[in-house]
Amino acid sequence: MSSLIGFSSLCFSSIISIIILIPNSITNIKIKSFLFLFRCSTLFVCISFLSLVFAYVSSDFSNFNVFQNSHSDKPLIYKITGAWGNHEGSILLWLSMISIYGFFYSLISKSLNDFKILVLKIQSSLFVIFAMFVIFTSNPFLVNSILVKEGLGLNPILQDPALAIHPPMLYLGYVGFSLVFSLAIASLLRNNNDQDWIIETRRWSMISWVFLTAGIALGSYWAYYELGWGGWWFWDPVENISLMPWITGLALVHSLIMIKGEQAIEKWVVFLAILCFSLSILGTFLVRSGILTSVHSFASDASRGLFILLIFFLTTGFGFLVFLIKSPTKKNKLHLLFINKTSALIINNILMIIAVLTILLGTIYPIIIEVLTNTRVSIGGPYFNSTVLPILLPGFLLMSVAPVLSWQTNKLQKFRIYVIFFIILSAIVSIQSYFTNFNTWGFIGLIIGSWIITASIISIFLRFKFSLSLHYVKIINSFIAHIGVGIMIIGITCSSIYQTEYNFNISVGDEINIDNGVLKFESIDITEEKNYQSLRAYFLLEKEGKLISYIKPGRNYYPVSKMITTEAGIYHDWSKDIYITLGNNNNNIWFVKIYINPLISFIWIGVFIMIFSSIIAIIKK
Amino acid sequence: MKKVTLLLPLILLITVCLFFLLFILFEKDPNNPPSVLLNKNLPLFSSVNLYNDKEYLASEDLKDKYTLINFFASWCAPCKAEHNLFFEIKKEIPDLFIFGISYKDKPSDSKKYLKQEGNPYSFVGVDQEGKIAFEFGVFGLPETYIINNKGKIIFKHAGALTKKIIDDEITKLF
Amino acid sequence: MKLQNFFKFLLFIFFITFSYTSFSKDNINDRYKKLTLELRCMTCQNQSVYDSDSDFAKNIKKIVKEKFKEGLNEKEIKDFLTKRYGEYILLKPYFSSKNLLLWVFPFVLLVLSMLIFIRNLKKN
Repeated sequence: MSSLIGFSSLCFSSIISIIILIPNSITNIKIKSFLFLFRCSTLFVCISFLSLVFAYVSSDFSNFNVFQNSHSDKPLIYKITGAWGNHEGSILLWLSMISIYGFFYSLISKSLNDFKILVLKIQSSLFVIFAMFVIFTSNPFLVNSILVKEGLGLNPILQDPALAIHPPMLYLGYVGFSLVFSLAIASLLRNNNDQDWIIETRRWSMISWVFLTAGIALGSYWAYYELGWGGWWFWDPVENISLMPWITGLALVHSLIMIKGEQAIEKWVVFLAILCFSLSILGTFLVRSGILTSVHSFASDASRGLFILLIFFLTTGFGFLVFLIKSPTKKNKLHLLFINKTSALIINNILMIIAVLTILLGTIYPIIIEVLTNTRVSIGGPYFNSTVLPILLPGFLLMSVAPVLSWQTNKLQKFRIYVIFFIILSAIVSIQSYFTNFNTWGFIGLIIGSWIITASIISIFLRFKFSLSLHYVKIINSFIAHIGVGIMIIGITCSSIYQTEYNFNISVGDEINIDNGVLKFESIDITEEKNYQSLRAYFLLEKEGKLISYIKPGRNYYPVSKMITTEAGIYHDWSKDIYITLGNNNNNIWFVKIYINPLISFIWIGVFIMIFSSIIAIIKK
Repeated sequence: MKKVTLLLPLILLITVCLFFLLFILFEKDPNNPPSVLLNKNLPLFSSVNLYNDKEYLASEDLKDKYTLINFFASWCAPCKAEHNLFFEIKKEIPDLFIFGISYKDKPSDSKKYLKQEGNPYSFVGVDQEGKIAFEFGVFGLPETYIINNKGKIIFKHAGALTKKIIDDEITKLF
Repeated sequence: MKLQNFFKFLLFIFFITFSYTSFSKDNINDRYKKLTLELRCMTCQNQSVYDSDSDFAKNIKKIVKEKFKEGLNEKEIKDFLTKRYGEYILLKPYFSSKNLLLWVFPFVLLVLSMLIFIRNLKKN
């Protein structure tokens, strides 16, 4: 029953979306009816998605999708999140979001009616394209041809809170850029000379960017504690795919700042707006077509791959074509000095785009080479670390003072104070490096991170009078964001470069001296949970005789899917993480790997500050 | 900005999509990398007979006949899945010398496995340390190679063989 | 000191520190770690040989240790491995004519864009 409701609502909403695409000259729809129809379409696609969720919650195995991906023993929360833990369900969620974004745009936007309708029509076209994809190649409402009593269970790796919210957050990011895309195309088609669409673009790109940041952070954090590899970023193709629209979105948001100083290059802003969504679709294609292997593979199918490739080609091609034909011709005379704010923002844009293109090339290069030469190369972390990081470095440097640079002159107020602090900071970091193992990357990372924080704080105190109000926070907002980045850079530097790793073969009862504390291997515990069996090693962490915490690395065994997952045991502290993974045992001697990650908390703190700052930027005065 | 720069994104888009299209159409499999040894001479090795530790088979002995080399082990589940296909291959191509190599497996376990599942191999070699497999670039089980009668490697597949692969790719080599 | 001179000074410092990394000498343990970090574990999803504990990774680690002992250098060991596993085993591709585009592209883009930017700067 739910499959029937789900499928028919989906078709209904697609039909409505097609109808509103018919030109006004034929139907002569008034704005009120148009908006009503669009919102109906949203309503129906939401009903469709909710029917799928309902099918999961009620373990309706007559639905083939539910049968393949769920099991009645799964906890309720994971039954719900299982709806989007597979290809068909997740693409239906993606589709729904296209419509939902259009819905909220129709409510909030203060643009002229003509412009609004055009944006919504483009949004509808995107909706129709993806709806066709769902209905014809990825239908989550297929009915099971045989009567079954139980489902095939879900991949246990997906039964996890962070991973459950991660896709919706990411999609809110990716799909948000669809609205930014529609805004850009609409403005091109209408030779829009008013500045309204720029304000709207700024709002919706910031919203998308915040969600994308949260989605990527959740994914990273999940990889950190779930995969047991001790790291949180692996330059895996799927990670790169999310990073590209993220950086492009960041470039877009920064370019929109240039409007204030009347230095905007409208052409460039429009192009970036189109590029963000193109990269989102490219990402969807690369992940779901099966041409890249990564930690994240959906079950794939050549016909699906070809369909999404077509979607990518048509949508991006259309976007670029409209850009080519109708790009704004207004030539803005830029006031460039070395270094004023305009130059800083332009350099920022250049560096970010080069970073994105490098990541793109690195990710798809194996495909190109294999088609041309039938040999396979692989491009992993070391390549990206050698190329992308050095490219971004000057950008980080500029970030420290860019907010206080002037649009007109290349002078910086109270310049000497900055220089003094920079020298002091360099001295401190140099002394610290001298007493620990000197490492060039570590040195650079620490200096840049702490300099960004220092310079931002100096700027705040020099320029703005403190007051406990939202107004004050909004004024110093860009500094807050940059401080967040600085903190994150320190966290990244310390937890990777100064990470220490230990391997031990120990038995129950042994003690290890680690990091000014003692780890006691107390016991091995095996318990039966609802749908898995868990094995945990209980480690007691003590410092100076006081109990600090239990750390419990181990494994889960899921009988239905016969999979074993490693569960890392992590002790969190603002200054470091103690990260333990349990290996195999030989006659009760267990192989244990321990990582000490200094200041890794700074990464999450920094990201949190960036998200906070973006939300402040979105809130109206 | 000149029109040329504006045209650049479109050109790049078309090029990139072309590569993706070709990759999909060529049915490239990300889990099955093409062998770097294709069309090269088979590597030098010598392997002892599983059933007779005084008898050896070396790479020179294979240089004048078509050989299929299959790396397997008793502990490898996908190997069991493809095992029966070798009997069919033997029937279809009787002149083919089917050489099984037991990889990182206790000889007694391999013998037991072959007794249970049947032995389609013309010769079973032992590679307990994986040294032979290393020379071939084997990184997982099962892997299958075909060598022509001039000692060149003309086929490689990582992963279990399927009827489709045999029909589409192997039979056309003969 | 003018702002632009300060920035030029900073860029200079960073250039020096970068050059330092390229010329610093590594000891044996660092060599082993550095090389195995650049080799792909071919039975893992996306891990280096250094980070992985799989059978394949353990095997490769053993081979790398042996070859370093035999006196081979990093490139020779990479060649030894790629002869059997192909370039796929390298996480950092060779700097060869096939991979020229890959390595040169970011650098060329950077230089080009900087030149264009400086030209526009001077026009002002």
